[in-house]
Amino acid sequence: MNDEIFLNERIDVLAKFGTGLNPCVPLKFRRPNGREIVISEIGLRHPTTKGRRAVHVFDVTDGEADYRIELDSERLTWHLTREGDRL
Amino acid sequence: MNSLYNSTQPLIMHIDLNSCFATVEQQARVRLRGRPVAVVNRRTDQTMIVTASYEAKAAGVKLGMKLRDAKILCPDLVGVESDPPKYRYVYHKLLDIMNDYSAKVTMKSIDEGVIDFSEAPKAIVERGLESIGMEIKQRLLTEIGCWMRCNVGIAPNRFLAKTAAGLHKPDGLDIITADNLREVLGTLKLTDLTGIADRNAHRLESVGIYTPLQFLDTPADVLHGSVFKSINGEQWHQRLRGWEVDDVETMVKRVGRQYVLDRFDLTFDEILDRLHHLCESVGWRMRKQGLSARGIYVGTRTFGMEGDRRRSYWHATHVAVSPFFTDETIYSLARQLFINAPPNIRDINVHCYLLQQDEPSQISLFADQIARERAVTNAIDELNDRYGEHTVHAASTLTTGPFVKTKVPFGSTRYL
Repeated sequence: MNDEIFLNERIDVLAKFGTGLNPCVPLKFRRPNGREIVISEIGLRHPTTKGRRAVHVFDVTDGEADYRIELDSERLTWHLTREGDRL
Repeated sequence: MNSLYNSTQPLIMHIDLNSCFATVEQQARVRLRGRPVAVVNRRTDQTMIVTASYEAKAAGVKLGMKLRDAKILCPDLVGVESDPPKYRYVYHKLLDIMNDYSAKVTMKSIDEGVIDFSEAPKAIVERGLESIGMEIKQRLLTEIGCWMRCNVGIAPNRFLAKTAAGLHKPDGLDIITADNLREVLGTLKLTDLTGIADRNAHRLESVGIYTPLQFLDTPADVLHGSVFKSINGEQWHQRLRGWEVDDVETMVKRVGRQYVLDRFDLTFDEILDRLHHLCESVGWRMRKQGLSARGIYVGTRTFGMEGDRRRSYWHATHVAVSPFFTDETIYSLARQLFINAPPNIRDINVHCYLLQQDEPSQISLFADQIARERAVTNAIDELNDRYGEHTVHAASTLTTGPFVKTKVPFGSTRYL
């Protein structure tokens, strides 16, 4: 089994908001331990809900591991929720 | 009945996402690309594979295989737990793209759909379906992601369009017309045809039909009288010639869920808790569609005794006098039936049938009680809608949430 680590870390995110098909592009984020992850590619962005709260899920990579970060559109908070193991 | 091949312009396009769930996982998780990936519903080695990526299929991994067995065939196989919201998003993106070309779009399942261009604007049809097919492939890449691929099949009817979509996987685009119909069917086996699995193939072989071309050349009266013994014979005769017989709307006849037990050493009470969770789920689905039911079906598959690998099936049904819609009534009826189930249970299956629109039809002696039940049920549904599925539920399903959570609904797009 591909063991992803399930997390719930509040993170600081630097993102670019613009126009076009992908109006929100996270560029890098900082974890509570101070480690900074520079995003090299966004695999998929999909919306989902937590109850009626819309959450935007970004599956991203820094080239070494895959991460899932989530933007809560109501609270405008970002969380790191998964880290894929390094293959 | 038309014995000729349909030589009109092909106006049906079938679009099929390649190994959909595995491809979406590879799209999302960049480091899985190019690797053999199997999507499973639970994070255990006992679980069965729902979808395999093309890399895994090339190594011999097949759908329905246990992850543990697949890893023997393909040691590098990466098992990924299914993530329905991601697939729902891709489904809706694909639907949006398809709706841009015609008002007549039908999604056949979560990963495939049909565009009927017969009523599409002239300007679109004049562009040619082949170029539209190429454009849809390009739009999948730009609007969802660079790893997304699909098969496109174009033909005069739905059946041949689906057949065309399966000719060159992955990422194919094929057209079947009256001109190349025989040539295409000549390359296929009977079981390559959608709707011809082992039983139908056996029926055909029993009258000397071994290939799709022989099937095509068989007169309708033989197919009706000797093979299918029903109107299916004539329908197959028309379908193979490119005439449309599958453009029919299906009605919801039953609402239900099936669940393979997470462990096979559960006590009967623990199995009842899972049954209760399934009943809550079925009730919610039924009410979402504004329906109530009069019939309930409970079924199981069981293991044989120790050392006996034979499986057997058991089921029981009940038809109530008046329609029901609450989770508690569904569970209470299901429980009464399930108490008679045999031991060694492998899975449980609950369905509500004899569905009808959920509206009070006549004055009842118990109208007050029904009104109260309706008010409580509506309030619970409202809370679960607002705060998420399974927020308010029966106490006995407190611990079953992680096991019986809703997975990918195959074969139906009603809940997407």
